[in-house]
Amino acid sequence: MTVLPWAVCVWLFVIGLYGIITSRNYVHLIGCLSVVQSATYVLLLAAGFRWGAAAPIFYDHPPGTPAVDPVVQALVLTDIVIGAAVTALLLALALQLHRRKGSLDPEELRAMR
Amino acid sequence: MSLLLYMLFLLTAAAGAGVVLSRDPRRQVLALSANGLVLALLFFALQAPDVAFSELVVGTAALPLLYLVVLASIRGGRTRD
Amino acid sequence: MPPRLRLALFALALACIAPALPRVIGAMPVFGSHPLPYGDIINRLAPVQRHVTNMVSAVNFDYRGFDTLGEEMMLMVAVTGTAVLLRGHRGESLTALPATVPGRRIPPHSEALVLTARWFAPLTILFGLYVALHATVTPGGGFQGGVIIASALLLLYLGEGYSGWRRFMRTEALDAIEGGGSAAYALAGLAPMLTGAEYLQNTLPPGQLKSLLSGGLMLILNAGVACAVAGGFGILFVEFLEETRAEDPNQ
Repeated sequence: MTVLPWAVCVWLFVIGLYGIITSRNYVHLIGCLSVVQSATYVLLLAAGFRWGAAAPIFYDHPPGTPAVDPVVQALVLTDIVIGAAVTALLLALALQLHRRKGSLDPEELRAMR
Repeated sequence: MSLLLYMLFLLTAAAGAGVVLSRDPRRQVLALSANGLVLALLFFALQAPDVAFSELVVGTAALPLLYLVVLASIRGGRTRD
Repeated sequence: MPPRLRLALFALALACIAPALPRVIGAMPVFGSHPLPYGDIINRLAPVQRHVTNMVSAVNFDYRGFDTLGEEMMLMVAVTGTAVLLRGHRGESLTALPATVPGRRIPPHSEALVLTARWFAPLTILFGLYVALHATVTPGGGFQGGVIIASALLLLYLGEGYSGWRRFMRTEALDAIEGGGSAAYALAGLAPMLTGAEYLQNTLPPGQLKSLLSGGLMLILNAGVACAVAGGFGILFVEFLEETRAEDPNQ
């Protein structure tokens, strides 16, 4: 099944979105957001893969041997670290929300009318 | 498609589903840690060692600890304001 | 919006997109065929031009160095936002007592845990420094090394407990390291402009292939990123773990 990588990306995105929509706890919602992010990582890295190629590090084998795409790896690399910092910011927001409202349930915290 | 990559992709899908379907946040933290580990293995198999480094440390150790700390301070019940 | 309506809208959106999904997946390139040409060009040019062997670091700090500057700023903004949210609420007093849940006894730290943490935290810091310094040679770089050093700080927390760890982690030093790293990245880009080149252009001597000092300007940018990431994550850990401390009885 050569379409499995793309299908897995779609599956991760859809189920992460489903988790965000039906979440009853804001911390659980932030975890589902990280699943949606991981869908993009898998998509990028699967797009840069090549059969029979090695990692794009030419320390042990000479430059010129087939290697996978380094550009998408650079994108995903910075994305993971910065995504972690943004998730920490979201968790701080959730903490403040709990402090002010006493609950983390999206149902109980309707928008101010 | 080699068997290793096939299995790792299926495992990634299962780990993502596990994170979403664990509704209790304290259980979800362990599912997040497992998800980070599976993603790191997948990135290694896709010939991306740099990315796997970052995902391993961030997804397995740093982020689950932040989640646990937030859950602990929520349960500690420090209600000011 | 009630949850059933939300779920119904989600199902409706999926139903609208679902017919197009098989066509899109079918139009994707075959997995493993890798039709992206930019990566092949980088793999061919970077060892010759910059004398580096880690292509990912070359893309991150040289060919797309400006994007990494944007990522640095995002990291700094996220850490600043978290610090403002959490620090402004707590006040500046430094009670170093961990919070207790009434009715639950705090178990004492097991000696095996303390010993393991005390052995492995310095080793992890050393490993993080090794990974960060060998950015242009072997898999690694500023981002990876920075997060590995940050996880060593977590090991210290596990070993020493909250009080000892909080006395050791000085937020002024962490703030300085994080801000200094980001500033070093932004200002190091100005150095090539003194010789008439563009901002962030790699004009330093590239060095020898497979040497630790290869890459030119990449080394300074890499060091800036490592400091910024390690300091940023350290600040995040301190801010979040401060939330678990006991209330100050004097307030």
